[in-house]
Amino acid sequence: MPDGPTLSFGLQLQPQPRMVSIVRRFVEESFEKLVGNPDAVYRVSLAVHELLENAAKYAVGERTGLAVRFEIKGASASITVTNEATPEHIARLRACVAEIQAAADPFIHYQDLMRESVGVERESGLGLARIRAEGELNLSLRIEGSMVTITASG
Amino acid sequence: MTTWAQTTTENDFAANASASERRILVSLTGTADVTVRDQLDQFLRDVHQEAQNCRAEEVTVDVRQLEFMNSSCLKCLVWWVSTVHDQPVEGKYHIVFVSSPSVYWQRRSLDALACLAGDVISIQS
Repeated sequence: MPDGPTLSFGLQLQPQPRMVSIVRRFVEESFEKLVGNPDAVYRVSLAVHELLENAAKYAVGERTGLAVRFEIKGASASITVTNEATPEHIARLRACVAEIQAAADPFIHYQDLMRESVGVERESGLGLARIRAEGELNLSLRIEGSMVTITASG
Repeated sequence: MTTWAQTTTENDFAANASASERRILVSLTGTADVTVRDQLDQFLRDVHQEAQNCRAEEVTVDVRQLEFMNSSCLKCLVWWVSTVHDQPVEGKYHIVFVSSPSVYWQRRSLDALACLAGDVISIQS
């Protein structure tokens, strides 16, 4: 958890693809004014975008919850997205997060997924690995019934 | 003299390309997210086809005004650079990304791309 003063907010939104960039810009513009670390702001906004886009693609139900907490100097942050998902998607998510957590080198794992993605028609499968490798944030997953909560933090 | 040109726009995203002799200039601007993924995919396939047709030596991609690229669109770039990387020598061309140091996604994401296919990519900023 962050040591210093923090900024935080939460949103409830319908998981629609067109909303994702709007929310990412809101996060970027809000924190850019308050945090003197643009690279940290980018890493947080990257996680917000990729997590919300996953929710927009795979969530069932009407509501997705987003919570962002940012330590004031940009030294640490957490981004949490909660939504309802199908058992099939939960199983894929468990496997994906477990692979990322087990990877000795997140960047090499990301590169491997990039190479594998070339033969895959639709899903990129890169979003979570990108948060870990480019965003340098740890991922954790909590499942309660059909509710999925994924947190990127670091 | 321009011999080929291609444009696609969707929401605030725009992609433009033009060919002259054996060089192709591409610019990507706005936001490349999941809502424009299919357009970007087709656009890059068209650019690659033209590069093959005109036996391009170099394709310059100006991304300085590209505010953000999501992972689905990044996958389109991965397909493109991997395809060029895997071409026989006579079909290969160089891809130069012109980036902005003040647009933070570009350094991390373009570096990751360059690690995939360093022989065909260079990054200018």
